[in-house]
Amino acid sequence: MYTMGIDIGSASSKVVILKDGNDIVAGEVIQFGTGSSGPQRALEAAFEKTGLSFADMTKVVATGYGRFSVEQADKQISEISCHAKGIHFMVPTARTIIDIGGQDAKAIKLDKRGTVSQFFMNDKCAAGTGRFLEVMSRVLEVKLEEMADYDSRATEVVSVSSTCTVFAESEVISHLSNEIPKENIIAGVHASVASKACGLAYRTGLEEDIVMSGGVAQNAGVVRAISRELQKNVIVAPNPQIIGALGAALFAYDEAMKAQ
Amino acid sequence: MSKVETILANMKAVAANPKQAIADAQAKTGKAAVGVLPVYAPEEIVYAAGALPVGCWGKATKNISKARTYLPAFACSIMQSIMEMELEGVYDDLKAVLVSSPCDTLKCMGQKWKGKCPVIQFVHPQNRNLESANVFLVEEYKLVRKALEEALDVTITDEAINKAIDVYNENRQAVRKFLEVAADYPQVIDPVARHAIMKARFFMDKADHTAAIKELTAELEAMPKEAWKGKKVILTGITAEPDEFLEILKEFDIAVVADDLAQESRQVRVDVPEGDEPLMRLAKQWQNMYGCSLATDRDKDRIPMICDMVEKYGADAVIYCQMKFCDPEEFDYPLLYSKMEEKEIRNLMIEIDQQASSFEQIRTRIQSFVEMF
Repeated sequence: MYTMGIDIGSASSKVVILKDGNDIVAGEVIQFGTGSSGPQRALEAAFEKTGLSFADMTKVVATGYGRFSVEQADKQISEISCHAKGIHFMVPTARTIIDIGGQDAKAIKLDKRGTVSQFFMNDKCAAGTGRFLEVMSRVLEVKLEEMADYDSRATEVVSVSSTCTVFAESEVISHLSNEIPKENIIAGVHASVASKACGLAYRTGLEEDIVMSGGVAQNAGVVRAISRELQKNVIVAPNPQIIGALGAALFAYDEAMKAQ
Repeated sequence: MSKVETILANMKAVAANPKQAIADAQAKTGKAAVGVLPVYAPEEIVYAAGALPVGCWGKATKNISKARTYLPAFACSIMQSIMEMELEGVYDDLKAVLVSSPCDTLKCMGQKWKGKCPVIQFVHPQNRNLESANVFLVEEYKLVRKALEEALDVTITDEAINKAIDVYNENRQAVRKFLEVAADYPQVIDPVARHAIMKARFFMDKADHTAAIKELTAELEAMPKEAWKGKKVILTGITAEPDEFLEILKEFDIAVVADDLAQESRQVRVDVPEGDEPLMRLAKQWQNMYGCSLATDRDKDRIPMICDMVEKYGADAVIYCQMKFCDPEEFDYPLLYSKMEEKEIRNLMIEIDQQASSFEQIRTRIQSFVEMF
C-alpha cells in the first residue's frame, strides 16, 4: 500500500511517498512553495522516481501553508501535527521539536507517544525564519548553502540584535561597511535566528531529546548556535526538510488503515 | 425568519455598521452622540446628560497610513485605527469623547486627540483598595461631568445619573444572563454572533439593547438544548476581532462558552453598587472591578478566575487573545500560562491584530490545537 504526504510551505514544496507506512520510496523537495509551480514539480519528481501515480495512492494527506490547495488530498492536517508525527517516526526519543521553515518557526512539545502536548509559533515576523537567512545571504553575497561553512570559520560572533528583518539587514550592511569579516557577521546572523527559535523552545520546558526539522536545520551554523544557546545537544532529523510531508504520509497511512 | 434569527440579524447589522446604527438611534431619540474610548468609562454620566454613549474600539481591517505620523509602530492596532479615523474626521460629529488612561498608549491618545470634538480625559486610580482612591475618582468624575455639561450645554443632575445607573445595571445583568444561557446553545449563538451581540451594545441605546437581549434570552431558553460535538473554549484578552478569527473558530466547530475579553464580558462584569451619591457609586464600581489586566490586582485574581471558569463552563480549553503590543496583557500571560499548565488546562495563545488581512497562521494554530485533543 502506498500513501502520500504533500507539504506545501511558503518557500518550498515537499512530497513523500510511503510504502506500507514504513518505507520512504520518494522524498522530493522543490524550492518553490505555495502559489508557484513547486507543488506540481515536486509531485512529478516523486512520480517519475517511483513510476507511481495518484491512482496508486490509497490515501493522500496535505499539510503546510498551501494544504487547502491540493485537490487530490483526502484530508488536510496542520504542519504542527505532521512535524510531530514525522519526527516521532524518525527519532522516537524526541520530546522537543524546533522546526524552522521559510516563514514560520515552531517549538513543539511531544509526549512519549509522539502526541503534541503544546506548541508555540513565531508571530507575524520574518525574523528568526528561513526568509531572514535568505535576505542576509543576498546582502552578504554568500549562497545559503555556504553560510554554515563561513560560520565554522568565525573567530567572533558579531551582534545582529534588531528584532526586525529590515533593520537587521541595515545592521549587517553597517557591519560590512566596517569591514567586519563575513564569517563573523554570518555567525551573528545565525545567533540571531537561534535566539528567536530558542525563545519559543524555552516555553516548552525543553525536555530532551531536542530535534530540529525544517529547511533551516540543514544549516549547521544555525544548529550550532541553537545548541550553544540552549546548552543542550540538538539532533538534526534525517532529511529535515521532508519531515512534514513524511508526517502527512504517515497520517495518510493511518487513514487508510482506518478505512480498511 | 424566526425571532432569534431576526434579533441576531439586527445585532449583526448594528455591529457591522455602527455609523448607520448611531444615526438610527439618534433619529429615534434625538440624542447627541458622545464617544467612549476603551476600556472603562462612566458612561452613565453621558447617558444622564441625555446623550448616546458610543464605543470607539477601532475598526477591523482599517488601512493605517496617517496614524503613523502620530503613533509609534508598536502601538496596538485598536489605537492605530482610532487615530487613523480621528485624522479622517470620522469622530467629528461626536459632541465629545471620553478617554481613560489605563495604559501608556491611551494616556498619550487622550493628550494628542486629533479629532475636532473636545476630548475629556480622566484617570482611574490604580491603588484601588484605598478609600482615598474613591475620593480621587469622584473628583475626576466631577471634571468629566462638568466637561460634558459644557460640551452638551446641559445640566447633569444626581437624579439623572442614578437613573442612568439603573439602566446600565439592568443592561449588565441582562447581558450576563444572556451569556450564561448562550453557553448552552452554541449551535445558535456561534462565536461571530456572540461577538456581534456584545459589540452592538456599544452603538445602541442601552435600554434598547437590554430589551433585545432579554427577548433573545427568553427565546433561547424556550429552545431545546442540543449536545455539542465540537470543542468549547473560553476567550480571554482585550478583543477577539476581527471576525475572520471568529469565523475560523466556527470552521473548526469551536464554541465560545464564556469570555474574559475587555471588549465583551469585562464591560458587564461589575454592577455599580447601591448608594446615594452617584459619582461615589461609579467610583466604587472601579474599586470593585476584578480580573482585568488594566486594573491593579496584587493577588492577580484573574488567574484563578479563568481556571474556575474552565470548570464552571465545562470548557475544553482557553484561548488567550493577545492583542499585539498590549503590554498589560503580555505581563499576565506567563502567569496564566504557568497556572493552566499546572492544572493541565489546554491553552493556546493567538496574537490579535485588528488590522490583520492574512489569517493562514491563525488557521494553522487553531487546526493544530484542535488536532491535539
